[in-house]
Amino acid sequence: MLEVRNIKYSYNVDYQALKGVSLKVEKGEMVALLGKNGAGKSTLFLHLNGIYEPDEGQVFIDGEELKYDKKSLLKFRQKVGIVFQNPDDQIFAPTVEEDVAFGPLNLGLSMEEVQDRVEEALERVGMKGFEKKAPHHLSGGQKKRVAIAGILAMKPEIMVLDEPTAGLDPQGVTNLTKLLKELNNEGITIIISTHEVDLVPNYAKRVFVLVDGLLIAEGTPKEIFSQPEILEKANLKVPIVTELFQKLESEGIDMDNDYPLTIDEAKDKFCELLNKN
Amino acid sequence: MKFDMDYIAHHNELTEANPYYKLFLTIFLLILTLALDNLYFDIFIFIAMSIVILAIAKINYRSYLKFLSIPMAFVVLTCLFLIFFFGKGEVIYETGIFGIVVTTDSLHYGVYTFFRVVGCLPSLGFLALTTPIAKILHCLATLKVPKIVIEIALLMYNSIFIFLNEIDTMQKAQETRLGYHSYWNSFKSLGALASTIFLRSLDKSETLQHSLDSRGYTGELPVYNPRKREN
Repeated sequence: MLEVRNIKYSYNVDYQALKGVSLKVEKGEMVALLGKNGAGKSTLFLHLNGIYEPDEGQVFIDGEELKYDKKSLLKFRQKVGIVFQNPDDQIFAPTVEEDVAFGPLNLGLSMEEVQDRVEEALERVGMKGFEKKAPHHLSGGQKKRVAIAGILAMKPEIMVLDEPTAGLDPQGVTNLTKLLKELNNEGITIIISTHEVDLVPNYAKRVFVLVDGLLIAEGTPKEIFSQPEILEKANLKVPIVTELFQKLESEGIDMDNDYPLTIDEAKDKFCELLNKN
Repeated sequence: MKFDMDYIAHHNELTEANPYYKLFLTIFLLILTLALDNLYFDIFIFIAMSIVILAIAKINYRSYLKFLSIPMAFVVLTCLFLIFFFGKGEVIYETGIFGIVVTTDSLHYGVYTFFRVVGCLPSLGFLALTTPIAKILHCLATLKVPKIVIEIALLMYNSIFIFLNEIDTMQKAQETRLGYHSYWNSFKSLGALASTIFLRSLDKSETLQHSLDSRGYTGELPVYNPRKREN
């Protein structure tokens, strides 16, 4: 369980990036953080494992307050893993396996254990066989997988991903979403920041909306996407399927105030409407 | 064809050969070439190592020529300077311009320096073209080279690729908008490129620091020993 309580953070005197953010994510949840560019999503994420220390407010992990001394930081960074937006910022070692091993080695595990974890993590993300490859010879999607493996190998309880689908091709996005869902089913709490509203209802049980350093809304995808004024403020829009059904409604088809968010929901709704007529 | 030394180092017939042998052979040949200081031996080494690189490691001859061409250009220039502007002794040729002359001494310097480099270059190329940098660093680590040197080399190596990519992208962006159209604006574009690169590097290094910290970086890069595979 992760809780953020009234966090404020300024980069300099006249720019406050976070103006008092509070949120709570339960164990085993998969949630999305929505917000336009520069809303403070990445800044918030860097607070979750103590990279940034807030000016005010606290972070709690498993009910324990995050402290900023070396020993506690190591403990919390093992529990909360951050996958950075740009894999090039994260992958630094000359070979894939060395990069994945970096985290577990820092935890002071035995070499045997580290080897097991590296193999397991690479297998998990589908990058087995790439152990000896140099990261800069990989494609964007493959680098992303290696970056995720690097975090997985630390066996975190909570995984935080900053715009994980940015820059991936459509297949890459599908595969990544599938992988994240699987990881979530295995019990890892997952927090994702994103702009891709079409995908959010597919995986997120709950959605947070961050605008200019303030959390303006929180709820199920259904609740969030049915409030146009919030979407407006956050530079977001409804998923494309929902838009279709809203247009259909303006043509005079009664939607009963229930707009589907995903393709599957849309299919059901469509059949229902066809049967009705 | 783009010349990517790192790619070549990872994809040739000698990539998997024992890096210690390669490292020691290179160091031995370098010392031998410099110590003997014999023109015939220099040429012999040049031919022998070129054969090793081209025939045994099976590196594309065009890549090899590209590898040689850049240092060779420097060597030729340097040696011309040596021949015309240095040394004392008996004058053997007068150019008649500003009293620039070639002396026995300077000719000797020029020629010997040139062949020394010609001998050493393929020896070094043998190591650089057939061994991925990661392996060289591992070797150096086990040979008790100070850890700090290896860590800096490792982080630099990683940054170089990001750096080059960044320059490449930015340069293309500038070219698209005719940034190198005339002499004067080439200068301006290059200046802008250099200053932006500097700022971006600072930015990148901060992000890298964050991501390393996220994974529990303690200020020392740990060494990973992969499991020996049975095949």
